[in-house]
Amino acid sequence: MAARDSPPTGYWTHGSLPPNVRIGSGSVITGDDVTGPLAFKRFTTDRHPGLVIGARSRLDGVLFNVGRQGYVEIGDDCYAEDAFLISECSIVIGHRVVIGWHATIVDSDFHPIDPARRIADAVACSPLANGRPRPPFVSRPVVIEDDVWIGPNATILKGVRIAAGAMVEPGAVVTQDVPSGARVLGNPAQIVP
Amino acid sequence: MTRSLPSDWYPGTVPDNIRVDATAYFGSSYAFTKFRSRLAVGLAIGRGASLCDGAILDVGEAGCVTIGEFALITSALIICDREVRIGPYAMVSWNAVIMDSYRFLPSVISGGTTSRPFTGPPSPGPRESADRCRPVYVGNNAWIGFDACILPGVTIGEGAIVGARSVVISDVPAYAIVGGNPARIIRYQCP
Repeated sequence: MAARDSPPTGYWTHGSLPPNVRIGSGSVITGDDVTGPLAFKRFTTDRHPGLVIGARSRLDGVLFNVGRQGYVEIGDDCYAEDAFLISECSIVIGHRVVIGWHATIVDSDFHPIDPARRIADAVACSPLANGRPRPPFVSRPVVIEDDVWIGPNATILKGVRIAAGAMVEPGAVVTQDVPSGARVLGNPAQIVP
Repeated sequence: MTRSLPSDWYPGTVPDNIRVDATAYFGSSYAFTKFRSRLAVGLAIGRGASLCDGAILDVGEAGCVTIGEFALITSALIICDREVRIGPYAMVSWNAVIMDSYRFLPSVISGGTTSRPFTGPPSPGPRESADRCRPVYVGNNAWIGFDACILPGVTIGEGAIVGARSVVISDVPAYAIVGGNPARIIRYQCP
């Protein structure tokens, strides 16, 4: 039963959504005067769709920094507050997921690890690049399953799968998969009772 | 009668149920966008204390935040469902999180602007029922580094220093210096 004043389709409070965004009914992307207009400032994905949001999710002050090959999917009834979603391949988030204030989810290193390649990347990213191609870097999809709770200031790194019902404590840096229902804490995040 | 602040970038107001010393400083009424306390005094802030621009008081209906005199809170997040007390002369750096509760679903619980049905807060595991909500105390003259997290139930002792990006999960003795995630005692300051 939808609330009477639910909008028929989702929307962004600070502008019209890019054409490759699909958003379900009752979902809203919002933010304050500072963060609201920035939500899609670095949304440059070529994929169609590049962002899929389910129904009744609320994304408050979230930045969708999605690169050319990036893709972000968010399920129903999610809530995120001033979080950073930074994608070069794929971030898939399930239903009823809570993402705390200033949490960061990344699916890539964004730069090569090898020192020589890093120099080449610095040049390719510079104002003097002249169209020079960037060297490859590692990206691996991130999957966050249903009912996961991610605390404020937490960081989820590339290739991680957080299974259903897990809890990521505030400030944790998650570098490995988290089993269903587990609670993780620390840097690097470890399972705690 | 709610009041607004002079030259405030945010078009909000300061709630009525707060006790503010006339010399205390508020950077912006933005701090109160998630302030929902229904207590007679949901925030008490002392002489010469500052709550700078960017600070957020995410205070639930039964929450009460106390900020002692000359305390300096920069753009930190305080999540309070019961009690968060910050002592006199304490300093809290930017992006620090001080929380007495594992909730932080303000807009979801209150309906936000979407007024949508919500299936209830996701279960954060076994801690939820036992001690979801435990008061946090930051002692006199304590110093919390940037990006640090102070978790529910923690007491930071007088004069202690919490290093940047630390996550504090247990009490910190007076004049200790703690750091790391989870935080450990590094050494003590000589009195």
